[in-house]
Amino acid sequence: MISPGIRQAAARLRDSWIMPLLLGLALFALASILIDGFASIRTARAILVLASFVGLAAVGQSLVIVMGGIDLSIPFLVGFANVVAAELFGAGLPDPVVVAVVIGMTVSIGALNGFLSKRFGVHPLIITLGVGTAALAAVMFWTAGFPSGSAPDWVTSFVSIGATTGPIPAPPIVLFWAVVTIIMIVVERSTSYGRRLFALGSNPRAAQLALVRPLRMWVATFAISGAFAGATGLLFLGFTGKAFGSVGEPLLFQTIAAVVIGGTSLIGGLGGYVRTAMGAIVLILLSTMLLGLGVQSSLIQAATGALIIVLVSVYGREAALRDTI
Amino acid sequence: MTALLGRDRRTGASVVLVLLVVLIGVNAVLNPARLAPAGIFTTIGLVAPLMLAALATTPSILSGGGGIDISIGPMIGFINVMMVLFLFEAGIDSPIVVIPLVLGLGALLGAFNGVLVAYVRLQPIVATLGTFLLFIGLTPWIMSQPGGDAPEWVLRLGDDFALVPVAFVGVLWFVIYRTPLYRYLMAVGGSSKAAYTSGINVARVRVFAYALGGLIAAVAAIALTALIGSGDPNIGQPITLKAIAAVALGGVSLAGGRGGFIGAGAGALVIFQLELALTSTQASTFMIQMIFGIVLVLAVLFNAIVGRRR
Repeated sequence: MISPGIRQAAARLRDSWIMPLLLGLALFALASILIDGFASIRTARAILVLASFVGLAAVGQSLVIVMGGIDLSIPFLVGFANVVAAELFGAGLPDPVVVAVVIGMTVSIGALNGFLSKRFGVHPLIITLGVGTAALAAVMFWTAGFPSGSAPDWVTSFVSIGATTGPIPAPPIVLFWAVVTIIMIVVERSTSYGRRLFALGSNPRAAQLALVRPLRMWVATFAISGAFAGATGLLFLGFTGKAFGSVGEPLLFQTIAAVVIGGTSLIGGLGGYVRTAMGAIVLILLSTMLLGLGVQSSLIQAATGALIIVLVSVYGREAALRDTI
Repeated sequence: MTALLGRDRRTGASVVLVLLVVLIGVNAVLNPARLAPAGIFTTIGLVAPLMLAALATTPSILSGGGGIDISIGPMIGFINVMMVLFLFEAGIDSPIVVIPLVLGLGALLGAFNGVLVAYVRLQPIVATLGTFLLFIGLTPWIMSQPGGDAPEWVLRLGDDFALVPVAFVGVLWFVIYRTPLYRYLMAVGGSSKAAYTSGINVARVRVFAYALGGLIAAVAAIALTALIGSGDPNIGQPITLKAIAAVALGGVSLAGGRGGFIGAGAGALVIFQLELALTSTQASTFMIQMIFGIVLVLAVLFNAIVGRRR
């Protein structure tokens, strides 16, 4: 017989952000035992850099899902930003101008996603899919499928696994991601935007009565998602050297997987970015570990799928219908 | 006809039907050969896999509660590979054995998704994202390279008997439409709480919807195998997004409970005709994708605006 106190404590643990953290630590411990040399600075850096890309791209996905939506345009906007940035750097434009133009464009496309979905009441899945496809195809058409240009040195050293940031033995992108995570915690917990976001996600009608303007929130949140997709695409340029329109493709499901593994609910109104950041690390840890064990890459995807189903069965179940009436 | 359109016949489906007629008109001028009676079954064989994939995606969406089966594309690829490797390559190629086994496998895979959604109570996108990844992971594991052969009767289903798989699903849907199951499905999709309080077993209806989707995915896999004549581990993944686009074009509401098979099928035909028209004008693939994205957005916006005014 389990006492109610223990059961309550177990439920609280299950619902807290400790779960993905423990999972990450357990995976790391397991990998260190199974693979010689896994527990090294070099491996940790590689995992953190890869997780940074997923984590940064998933900032928008996390916010949008908390709000009760979903954003499938992220992989397309990452590719879009990757190609446009390469072209503009190649054309010799000053770096700040390139960054401003690229982010400005992805922010506008994101805002369009939010506006069209909310204003006309169309499921964001369809709008973001259509708008994203059109946007990426447009730049690929513009470059005739062979984007030119390459990354300037500062972008390359920003994301390089071997790079350090002053005295800190990690590349700048990891620190950038850490700062973004801290900002996100503050935004979600202590700003009116954050409170409105969670209010809108947990009960859209009540939020509206509390004077939250849904259209404005949707436009702003999808615009933020566009901004981070743009930044991720730009930074990917430093990782790959040359532009690829398809560079973002794996992020379609990786961003959703990071959010879900972290324990944020697709119903909306529950979860938060800290969880998503840990979800991104767990995702990359798992694939790095299996890769290190010599598992073929397609089976790693299957394992990710199984992990999602098992994890969400443990802590992401919806309420039974009979309890909601 | 109106029966198959479902309740939403005056909004979503009418938009897609108008679009379809216009595109067929355009193609009659640009590609007379594709639409000529002599080659019509080859054309049907070309469009059948996408059309059936769209139909396979429809029941889960109709069942509501955020219902959607995004694993349909990889599931089709998985069934294609299983069928070629474990049946045809093993010498089992009699249709009397193959068809029940393949359809059974599809229904089972769909039902698995349904149980995850209805009984384990995972959000449909999450549950089927999990099985999506399972399928695209396991498929190249069981068959690493495209290969294998399909028996003669399968190949003919992609040619002069191309109408058979589509007609089979059409008849199946019509039969379901005439039974209480259809009303249960639409009731659950419209309001699961109302359906629950009026005594419908919501979970069982949802499992049925996903199992039906899986069964239709198996038919799509047969049509696809007929078209390519072999097993291909990489063919399934891209189908999902196109199928969802077709369903949305066809006026099936992602909120559930509104729309029908005719709309979803017509949505797939629109995508096919659009690609056909653009390809014949020598447009680049990027141009085609761009126009495809814009048409998708405009069509669903138009559906939404017309639907609201009604």
